[in-house]
Amino acid sequence: MDHIDQLEAEAIYILRETAAQFKKPVLLFSGGKDSTVLIYLSIKAFYPAKSIFPVMHVDTGHNFIEALEFRDQLVERFGLKLIVRKVSDTIINKGLVEPQGKFPSRNALQSHTLLDAIQEFGFDACIGGGRRDEEKARAKERIFSIRENGGGWQPYSQRPELWDLYNGRINEGQNIRVFPISNWSELDVWNYIRREKIELPSLYFSHNRKCIRYNNRLIAVSNYMIAEDTDDIIDTHVRYRTVGDMTCTAAVASTAITIDEVINEIANSPISERGETRMDDNISDAGMEDRKLKGYF
Amino acid sequence: MDILRFITAGSVDDGKSTLIGRMLYDTNNIKDDILESISATADDVNLAYLTDGLRSERQQGITIDVAYKYFTTAKRKYIITDAPGHFQYTKNLVTGASSADVIIILIDAVNGITSQTKRHLLVASFLKMKHIVVAINKMDLMAYDESVFTAIKTKFLALSNNLQLAGVTFIPMSALSGDNVTFHSTEMNWYQGGSLLKYLEDCESTILAHSNPMRLPIQYVDDCYYLGKLVAGQIKAGDRVVAHPQGYELTIEKIISGYETVEEVHAGQNIQITFTGNLKLERGNVLSPLQNKPSMSNELVIDMCWLDVQNPLLLNANYILRINTATTTCKVTEILHKIDNESFGKYQDNKQVNVNEFATVKVTTTNNMVFDSYKTLAATGRGILMDSITSNTVAAFTIQ
Ligand SMILES: Nc1nc2c(ncn2[C@@H]2O[C@H](COP(=O)(O)OP(=O)(O)O)[C@@H](O)[C@H]2O)c(=O)[nH]1
Repeated sequence: MDHIDQLEAEAIYILRETAAQFKKPVLLFSGGKDSTVLIYLSIKAFYPAKSIFPVMHVDTGHNFIEALEFRDQLVERFGLKLIVRKVSDTIINKGLVEPQGKFPSRNALQSHTLLDAIQEFGFDACIGGGRRDEEKARAKERIFSIRENGGGWQPYSQRPELWDLYNGRINEGQNIRVFPISNWSELDVWNYIRREKIELPSLYFSHNRKCIRYNNRLIAVSNYMIAEDTDDIIDTHVRYRTVGDMTCTAAVASTAITIDEVINEIANSPISERGETRMDDNISDAGMEDRKLKGYF
Repeated sequence: MDILRFITAGSVDDGKSTLIGRMLYDTNNIKDDILESISATADDVNLAYLTDGLRSERQQGITIDVAYKYFTTAKRKYIITDAPGHFQYTKNLVTGASSADVIIILIDAVNGITSQTKRHLLVASFLKMKHIVVAINKMDLMAYDESVFTAIKTKFLALSNNLQLAGVTFIPMSALSGDNVTFHSTEMNWYQGGSLLKYLEDCESTILAHSNPMRLPIQYVDDCYYLGKLVAGQIKAGDRVVAHPQGYELTIEKIISGYETVEEVHAGQNIQITFTGNLKLERGNVLSPLQNKPSMSNELVIDMCWLDVQNPLLLNANYILRINTATTTCKVTEILHKIDNESFGKYQDNKQVNVNEFATVKVTTTNNMVFDSYKTLAATGRGILMDSITSNTVAAFTIQ
């Protein structure tokens, strides 16, 4: 078995453990490459039976249209059950404050919507595409990671996790986040996408887009941001390395239109995935840790 | 390209973070933006800062829980488990080491072997780790003197005599300057062995012994198929096998691996199978060949490490015991002996086992459990205990 086979085997094993140990598991889908890979893995894990996991999208309302179209096609193609819960509804119901600024990101508000949905459906396990190499707080996550009542992560008292004996036993009010592709790198994900012929939103490949040059980053022009006359707008070849909110994900200049070209580009990129594309981790040294403490993915 | 998993263990300030940073740096596995975030100035890179992921860890300058880091060479993908060294976090070290192929035990050449080194040894011995590297670090502070290295090595070997460790390799090193980390040091020509990276590149990753008798624990059952990971041996369509604990004989009808129907599969693969007949199996059952069956009993003797910070092991209280995919309720009926953390000798204490202590105990399970010896068939020879009230994982164990 080569390293991709080993990573796939580990992920499939974890998905089957999740199916066996929980009553109401759900797969969290963002429209990005990592959660798309998760969906393909969950199809393979249970073939020829269907995947038993419904798919939930926490919709910030700031999505790329390409990601939404892709989501609907994917769900249709595999006959998956799709649940959508909208951050805009949570903002109204809970009287939350819309984020401010030039690029108002609802990224942090997603946690409220997610926690509400977990309660509404009684989900006991949420499967996510988080990877340990993405970010330093993620590097500390267990494969089965407990969330307490308020959804918070308790990084200093995590359960021991021995061998592949994932402990999914929980008490009232707790739920578990499951991370089957914890040990995959960005390149592993892309090599798997190539090997399994996985389709992705067109955003991941080079296309023409109007972007604003802002703090050395390229941010797509959209209705969700505040336009100003002084904006430095260019129309250029870009692709996305990660796909999140239109307001918190930066594009990268790229002419890569095939998977091989993308893999080549990433392998030679001097900059990390989040470093190049995320605008929300830079806010503080512990940006991700703080969001996770409050129930973030 | 395959995967090798290794764990680094060392006391605070032995240079663990520096070593990991050095390895990532020398193999070109640190992206520019990350490098910038750990550098105060262009030529003042704090390699140690790479690994500490949580705010308090950075503030206190210590590792509290396991973090995972990754790097690749042309030959391998490496998964580094960075584990804390302090006694108090032995449970986290056990967590990290359980999935590692190699353990690197760091010793500061200035301080020599400490009580914490002994604890790291005990963990390696408890888990019967096959590859142990003792990295004697900060040799630069001892003028790269061979006699310092030899003295520590001799003491270490004498100490580990009681523990029946598998192959131990000693490497003199300076993590700070990189000597013997990824390249052979020119400062220590008296050392004939290779660098740490060379050792890792050449190390055999856990080979799932194909020659072992077949074991297929049933993991999940859907309407038509039994799903599970083949943990040892191989299995073919048409094979006659036994389902445990029932003792039924069955014939394997069809095997699916991924999207393909296949004739034969080997250890390590996740499969879906059917067999002839109307019998029903469930999660936790184990398939084996007609010969070389696993053992079965409701009385087990297990070697354990207690992991629960809140409560010590209570005799005759209810726990949940898990071996591979099988679970049952159980009671620990007797503490046969405990292991002394300093001398590694056995001693009697039949009252309780506290967090981070090692002991051999007798367990009575409600259901018959199917198991093997950890030494020969690891996957079916190890397990965990869970607390029946808090649901926490409270012990890791292996079966002799
Ligand atoms: N002289 C010398 N100092 C070292 C060496 N390795 C680490 N150090 C220093 O020892 C201190 C502790 O190192 P660190 O990697 O943070 O230790 P950790 O607590 O084990 O992660 C730091 O000041 C390092 O620069 C070495 O090989 N030689």
